[in-house]
Amino acid sequence: MTTTSQNEPNTGPRRINFRPSASTAIVAAAGSVLVLLVFLAIFADWIAPYDPLRQNLIKAMQGPSAAHWLGTDDLGRDVLSRLIFGCRIAVLAAAEATSIAVLLGVPLGLFIGYRGGWWDWVVMRVVEAVVSIPGIMVAIVIIAILGAGLHRAMIALGILFSTSFLRLARGVVLAEREEVYVRSARVIGASDRRILLRHIFPNIAPPLVVQVTLTVGAVLLAEAGLSFIGLGVQPPDASWGTMLNSAAAYMDLNWFLAVPPGIAIILTVLSVNLLGDVIRDSIGRGVAVGVDPGKPAERFVPAIAATGAESPAPPPLADEVLRVEGLQVLVSGRDGHEVPVITDLSFGISRGETLGLVGESGSGKTITGLSILGLIGAGGRTTHGSIVLNGRDLRRLTPKQLEEVRGNEVAMVFQDPTTSLNPAFTVGSQIAEVLRTKQGLSGKQAWSRVVELIDRVGIPRPEERARAYPHELSGGMAQRIAIARALSCNPSLLIADEPTTALDVTVQQEILDLFRDLQGEFGMAILFVTHDLAVAADISDRISVMYAGEMVEMAEVDALFARPRHPYTRGLLSAMPHASSRNPPLPTIRGNVPRPGSWPSGCRFSNRCDFATAACERPIPLVGTDRLVRCIRAPELELKAAS
Amino acid sequence: MKKWITTSGVIAALALGLAGSPASAQGSGTFKYAEQVKLITMDPQKQSGSGVPFLRPAYESLFEKGPDGENVPLLATEYTVDGLDVTIKLREGVSFSNGEPFNAEAAAANINRGVEIGIVEGLKTVESAKAIDEYTLGIKLKEIDPAIITTLCYTGGMMIAPSAMADPALDRNPVGTGPYVHSKDESREGEVQVYVPNPTYWDKDMIGLARYEVWEIPDDTARLNALKTGQIDAGNWLSNPQAAIIDKSPDLKLIRNNGGLNYHVIISDREGTVVPAFADPMVRKAMALAIDRDAFNQAIQFGLAVKSFQPYGKGDWAYDPALEGVYEYNVEKARELMAQSKFPDGFTFDMPSIPIYQPRLEALAGFFNEIGITMNIVPVEPGTLARRSRTTDFPATNLVWNTVTDPKFLALRYIYEDAAYNPFKAKPSEALLALAQEGLTSVETDVRAPIYHKMAAQLADEAFLIFVTNAPILIGVSDDTAENPTVRYRYGEDSINLRGLKAND
Amino acid sequence: MFRLVAQRLLALVPLLFIVSVLAFSFTSLLPSDPVDLILGDTGTQEQHEMLRERMGLNEPLVVRYFQWLGKAVQGDLGTSFFNSVSVTDAVLLRLPVTLSLTAISALIAIVVGIAAGVAAALHPRSWIDRLATVGATFGQAVPNFWFGLILVAVFAVNLRWFPATGFTPISVSPWDWLRSVTLPSLALGLSSSAAIARQVRSAMVGVLQQDYIRAARAQGLSSRRVILRHALTNAMVPVVAVLSFQITVLLGGALIVEQVFAINGLGTLAIAAVRQQDIPMLQGLVLVMVGLVVLVQLATDLLYGLLNPKARPT
Repeated sequence: MTTTSQNEPNTGPRRINFRPSASTAIVAAAGSVLVLLVFLAIFADWIAPYDPLRQNLIKAMQGPSAAHWLGTDDLGRDVLSRLIFGCRIAVLAAAEATSIAVLLGVPLGLFIGYRGGWWDWVVMRVVEAVVSIPGIMVAIVIIAILGAGLHRAMIALGILFSTSFLRLARGVVLAEREEVYVRSARVIGASDRRILLRHIFPNIAPPLVVQVTLTVGAVLLAEAGLSFIGLGVQPPDASWGTMLNSAAAYMDLNWFLAVPPGIAIILTVLSVNLLGDVIRDSIGRGVAVGVDPGKPAERFVPAIAATGAESPAPPPLADEVLRVEGLQVLVSGRDGHEVPVITDLSFGISRGETLGLVGESGSGKTITGLSILGLIGAGGRTTHGSIVLNGRDLRRLTPKQLEEVRGNEVAMVFQDPTTSLNPAFTVGSQIAEVLRTKQGLSGKQAWSRVVELIDRVGIPRPEERARAYPHELSGGMAQRIAIARALSCNPSLLIADEPTTALDVTVQQEILDLFRDLQGEFGMAILFVTHDLAVAADISDRISVMYAGEMVEMAEVDALFARPRHPYTRGLLSAMPHASSRNPPLPTIRGNVPRPGSWPSGCRFSNRCDFATAACERPIPLVGTDRLVRCIRAPELELKAAS
Repeated sequence: MKKWITTSGVIAALALGLAGSPASAQGSGTFKYAEQVKLITMDPQKQSGSGVPFLRPAYESLFEKGPDGENVPLLATEYTVDGLDVTIKLREGVSFSNGEPFNAEAAAANINRGVEIGIVEGLKTVESAKAIDEYTLGIKLKEIDPAIITTLCYTGGMMIAPSAMADPALDRNPVGTGPYVHSKDESREGEVQVYVPNPTYWDKDMIGLARYEVWEIPDDTARLNALKTGQIDAGNWLSNPQAAIIDKSPDLKLIRNNGGLNYHVIISDREGTVVPAFADPMVRKAMALAIDRDAFNQAIQFGLAVKSFQPYGKGDWAYDPALEGVYEYNVEKARELMAQSKFPDGFTFDMPSIPIYQPRLEALAGFFNEIGITMNIVPVEPGTLARRSRTTDFPATNLVWNTVTDPKFLALRYIYEDAAYNPFKAKPSEALLALAQEGLTSVETDVRAPIYHKMAAQLADEAFLIFVTNAPILIGVSDDTAENPTVRYRYGEDSINLRGLKAND
Repeated sequence: MFRLVAQRLLALVPLLFIVSVLAFSFTSLLPSDPVDLILGDTGTQEQHEMLRERMGLNEPLVVRYFQWLGKAVQGDLGTSFFNSVSVTDAVLLRLPVTLSLTAISALIAIVVGIAAGVAAALHPRSWIDRLATVGATFGQAVPNFWFGLILVAVFAVNLRWFPATGFTPISVSPWDWLRSVTLPSLALGLSSSAAIARQVRSAMVGVLQQDYIRAARAQGLSSRRVILRHALTNAMVPVVAVLSFQITVLLGGALIVEQVFAINGLGTLAIAAVRQQDIPMLQGLVLVMVGLVVLVQLATDLLYGLLNPKARPT
């Protein structure tokens, strides 16, 4: 069942607004073709150089010449003139069939949609039956009843295409009816029929316009086809289809005859389709007023080439698995310019350690995870820095080598388990696939390992669950599967991107426990990305706070919570709901995280910071030894807080 | 239908038995012929128009045309015509392919059926037929008919097995005495009809093929491709671009068989029942004058035809040289006539068309358009033009007149009130009627020729038959077929005589 | 799977019933009297009456419908008005021809459509994408019969790589069969390729943004594997719905393209039947085509279930 306004909660009419930009050119070109077509159709008698029926058998089948720009046909008639008169038939045909389709389909659709019940059932079954017969066959059968000829063929096409208008109108009525019944309870005295009518007309117009463009294109092609097989326009009248029909007989002698009418059909249909595409797009997008894609207010001044403030690399850790140094990531914005999303990012994780990466959304923490994997996507790239995993710089690897690393040395668990598992395959097969392709296990070995892994992540009846599809599992269970898959090749680094955010609170804790357990068993390093400080506090050994694409603070978890040094961290902590202090409203940090490309040129937090001074207007390095902070006022603020 | 299947099974068994005996002459090889019209029926007495090549393998007629158009006995041995009595001696020892004997009884039943069905126009003069003795057939005529034996050379003389006449599916199950029998199992409807040797044929030496196929390829280009690629050995063409291509191809030959296909427009509604203008002779003359036959021949028929103003062409005894050029192209005069007529503003009429005539009709429509007449071209299914032309569906039609046809058929087709192509039952003029009667009084062409010259002149004057161009019967063949000495083209027909035909090497 | 087939088959009964009623009701809609059609103006009043009786035209319409239906379900679609040919035989004889065209063109449309759609989706806004998008837009505007004519002019008349006309049954020569259906199938498949390519592209673009694709990549699966197995399987779900519709379109298009190549298929049969107003033939053709469409829908439904586990009955 088609409900055309399902994606639109309010019942106000949608507006058609053409987007400027690339489509303007298309609209202009397609529009001019169609205007020309109509112009030629109306003024064919004056424009055509010859009478389209006037033959000159002596001058039959001549090539293009000054007298006959497109040559002459098998009877010596001027091809150009016939082509111009063909415009008239094309316009007539399209107008006639489309009008019939609309006039027949829309009222009937409104009627059965409004009336419902038995009428609706019967008509819809008939429509289904008609639709299940190939369209051209329906037209052929109707022509068998009505006889051949342009108008009769167009009636046939009108009847054929009315089914789509019927379904469209019916869909609008059904959708609006629901709406109106809810409202009409409040409107006293007005019949719902009137309300229905008032609501339907504005709502049916946009899809109707789209459907009309689709139908016009289809009618033009169908008319040409029917005329071609001799059931549409009858010779000697010039329609593009009949011109092709006679051209077909002389293909061996003069193939050029097939060219002009063919091009005329293609250009016309193309123009109608293109216009239809643009209209369809603008109706689709017209629903929500799009965000202005205009320029960012401020450009990111610190040159892309150099990382703003040269922060010293943090000291190496013992038993370090991953070491990221001076990472910078750019993505292309809407206007095609690249903007940085991560700058000057350095950190390390050692074996068996969990590093929590904390920040609001937009801070670049997920991108960090993805850039380690080399999976930022088509719009972004890593421009500076190194990502050293187990002693190899991943940025220097070929895509093939990187593919090898992924899964085996580093794996990732995503936020939403229901979307990160492929809905088309059983969960077991998705784990087995990794084992087979990455570790070269046989199908049988892989499967028994799958069952073991599923068992290991705490899912009961693993054999059975392995054969389930993702949609058959609960969120928590699906996340356990995702974790099992990530760990299947025993990676030395696991990146967990908000793995508990999409889950129920009770399940969250179980999953966190699972991570801890597994880390104990497998000994991998975990980069745990989350916006939730409580979760981070629970799972992490160290926490790194990110803000606007850079790290602002990093410390041991207890130290950070005890003594946050960056004003941002402090803001985050005070916004954290503590079980003890529910009563006073949570203080929040004013403003929002600035969008990439509109970062302040100095300290990126300076525009939201209560402690910002003039000194904060230049890039600030990340400094410190055991704990790091990116704030020039950190020492004095710490003193203040302590006092 | 069931009955036929059982009998054919018996025959097949018989055939297998006979195949072993040295007396049976089995042919070898296959010959493939392509027909340009679609198969409508294989019942000779319901067949109209073209499509005879589908019938010839299975059916034989009492007489056939010799190489010079003379009547040669085939299933008959001799005949005498005495006024209204025709006596025909039949060949003895002939049987139908279903085992029934061929005798006067069977022949009489055939003639009577043909008369009753009334489609074979040559039999219109026949009152009835009866068996005089076992092998003597007597035909009683309604009127003197100089062409009765000619009629019996074609479908009117084709002999159907008596029991098959009752088969409602006779149109696809022919049972005759011909050298070949139709193989329903191997045939594919709408594509190819397959014929295999008739094990009971009376003249086994004349069976030269193991298999004969008639392909239905209505598309001229497709038929040409089939000939080029050797899918067929021969096929018939109208004078169209494809025929012209065959004529020019070094490894193909275009045979110009005797007999002409005289393309003409028939104003059926000449009393103006549906199209009042057609009742005005000035309008009809204007139409005849509006046609540029030379240009038509060049552009549409690629110069393969000659312009035509009367039913017969040069060399035919009924041809009158005096009529040459009587309606020579003169559009001014045509317009003048239209202006003088009661229809100076022109009029519109419908014309049936089959695909092979489409360009011709478009050209004619163009000519008529010049004098203010709009001709709508209405497609009808190929193979049904002749039949539709016999109905009042169309006020005018277009057909070809085969110039080997006896001129008496002009009257039977077009002139008499009950003529086949006079669906509006237009009354003939006194002059035409008198000439038609006069033409029947003798069998001697010397006597008849002046009468038919007069008839041609009268027809030209009344101008309800507008002759356009006359083209020879064209058969396109491969080089191998052209060199095959056993290939004999039937006189005035677009088919090959199957008796004695052997495959190309 | 068996249950799904059974369910779907059961659901088709009303559809087929209504189609049969529609197909049959043509008899009463056609302007001309079949008896007149058959006999022309030649038959006598007596012959007319006899034929009328024999054809059962004196029975009420409803009775005739059920008589016809009764035979139709046993596979007997009646006899042509124009000759003694059984409609079932005639249609069955032509069916392989049209099916060959439809099947090969569907294959072309699927292969080309998916390849172009995937290529475009993998490199959004690249020249490949633009080429595919422009090609698809053009492809949908080109009339199939015109494309057929051009293919004939180029590949048959000039290059002589393929026969210009005709159809060779596969039983006669598989090679010649392939040669004879190549050009018509290309002509026929173009616009469907375009439609499928557009659908595949948009579906692929959507799917490639899905988490599970990123997850599969994160798992180190090769690009090939991720695209062909993980992405395409899911992208095919909406494509399959389009596919079913496109095959119906192809079946209809075959009727016209057959004429370009002088191929004797269902289209030739249908056009002849229209011109002759051969009602039993038209009825039979409609029923057989709906039967084919229904089979295609059934097949695509099964495919849909295969690709989309959520759609399977549990």
